Amino acid sequence: MPRKEIVRGCVSILTGLAIWELFAWLLLENELLIPPPSSVARSFWKLMITGQLNKHFAATLLEFAYGFSTACIIGVVIGYFMGMYRRFDEVMEPWIATLYSVPIITVVPLIIIWFGIGMISKVIVVFKITAVAIILNTAAGIKNLDPVWLELAKSLRLSGWETTYKIRFPGALPYIITGMRLGVGRALLGVIVAELMAANAGLGYLLRDSSETWDSPKLFVTVFLLAAMGLVSFNLIKRFERRMAPWRQSAEWSAE
Amino acid sequence: MNERTDKLISSLLKTGSIVAGLALWHILAEYVLNDPTFLVSPVVVVNTAYEMLFVTGELYPHLFASSWIFFYGFGLSILAGVPLGFVMALNPTVRDYVNPWMTTLYTTPRIAFAPILLLWFGIGGGAKVAIVFLGCLFPILINSYYGMRVVNREYVELARSFRLNSWALFMKILLPASVPFILAGIRLSIGRGLTGVAIAEWFGATEGLGYLVFFAGQTLNIPTLFVGVAAFAVLGILGFEVIRRVETYATPWRKQSQGG
Repeated sequence: MPRKEIVRGCVSILTGLAIWELFAWLLLENELLIPPPSSVARSFWKLMITGQLNKHFAATLLEFAYGFSTACIIGVVIGYFMGMYRRFDEVMEPWIATLYSVPIITVVPLIIIWFGIGMISKVIVVFKITAVAIILNTAAGIKNLDPVWLELAKSLRLSGWETTYKIRFPGALPYIITGMRLGVGRALLGVIVAELMAANAGLGYLLRDSSETWDSPKLFVTVFLLAAMGLVSFNLIKRFERRMAPWRQSAEWSAE
Repeated sequence: MNERTDKLISSLLKTGSIVAGLALWHILAEYVLNDPTFLVSPVVVVNTAYEMLFVTGELYPHLFASSWIFFYGFGLSILAGVPLGFVMALNPTVRDYVNPWMTTLYTTPRIAFAPILLLWFGIGGGAKVAIVFLGCLFPILINSYYGMRVVNREYVELARSFRLNSWALFMKILLPASVPFILAGIRLSIGRGLTGVAIAEWFGATEGLGYLVFFAGQTLNIPTLFVGVAAFAVLGILGFEVIRRVETYATPWRKQSQGG
């Protein structure tokens, strides 16, 4: 990133915050609608020293981590078999397509009825979102493998396992990572929605709690935290993508 | 194995998979669990759907309420997203200033804004449209930006050698070249818009498909819940299909569009 771009970005953000602060002080008497950044910061500090923030943040992160890691493993395995065996693909496809086309948000009430309001339901939500994205992308990656590579593997007399490990998996890796990236954003949304609907901890819970008690500074703190979480995970996965599959050019931003 | 038997086997496998899955679901619901507040058989779901569609007509008001919100927010996001994307692509200064705000808004889980928008716009239509708008905006904006950025340089050079002025350059080269990208963005935003509708209607609504689903969830009305979820899925698939048709019609020079 060139330096000019960074400077302009910082200027833009700082000016925005300053205008917001002034606007909130001069024009609005009521903190309810738009609390100034300073009172948002105060609320953040208060939440942090009471340890509330830690608790909610850890809950969301843990749910996300459990769901995401299991989805990666199971998704890659199922996707691999779907890519390898056409018959298996045909059996699975109608169901995966159905799962894919149902907006997850609408299934959340059902998942909560089935798995309760605790942690498990949120892990399932994250799992479902990520797994579908990874399965579809892994299968596509295995199917779209350059046949020349497979011929190369044959002429090198690689065993089946070696072909999978050395040719198919690395070949499909960019696709798998794309699936993961798609999964991250959506899963974050899913976990927050599930926490909003019914939970006793987590950032989604905090969001609901603060909006129902009309505590706008706290609401904004939560929104900022969610924004930070989204930004960090997005950049991490982009970096991961560049590192694991450097031969693939990725767009500046990639739409979902 | 010749091609015809091959095709036959694959369609048999697909239908077999669906039938077996539904049968398993039916058995699970009727004989194993036997608890209508937990899971109901697909037969019950289909019956409920039939009733809501053709007997009581209960589904239509919800459908209309949701479509209204959806099309309003979706239309606004196209009107705002495409020009903004173009401006950002053509003017790097604007891009640099808008970029940090946009990236932040885009990567934040959308639901975080719902309570704030509700606070600002009230529980009427405004907040709902705003939530849908926010969901649809970014794929369209980003793809318009990207489409305009990756226009083939040779086309631009060609236009220069024909001495096209900037307006003609825009209308004849830049705009048509970015159409496939914009359409890809629109296609992506349909799903996001539907999710937005569901989120919006969950916060203080009295009708709409999202309301239907969440209310059914709260009252453990599983058949209605399934019908609502299925309605969302059908709408999503329909919208996707429509845009794909538009894509093949509007950009016949490309077999399939990339981007997004």
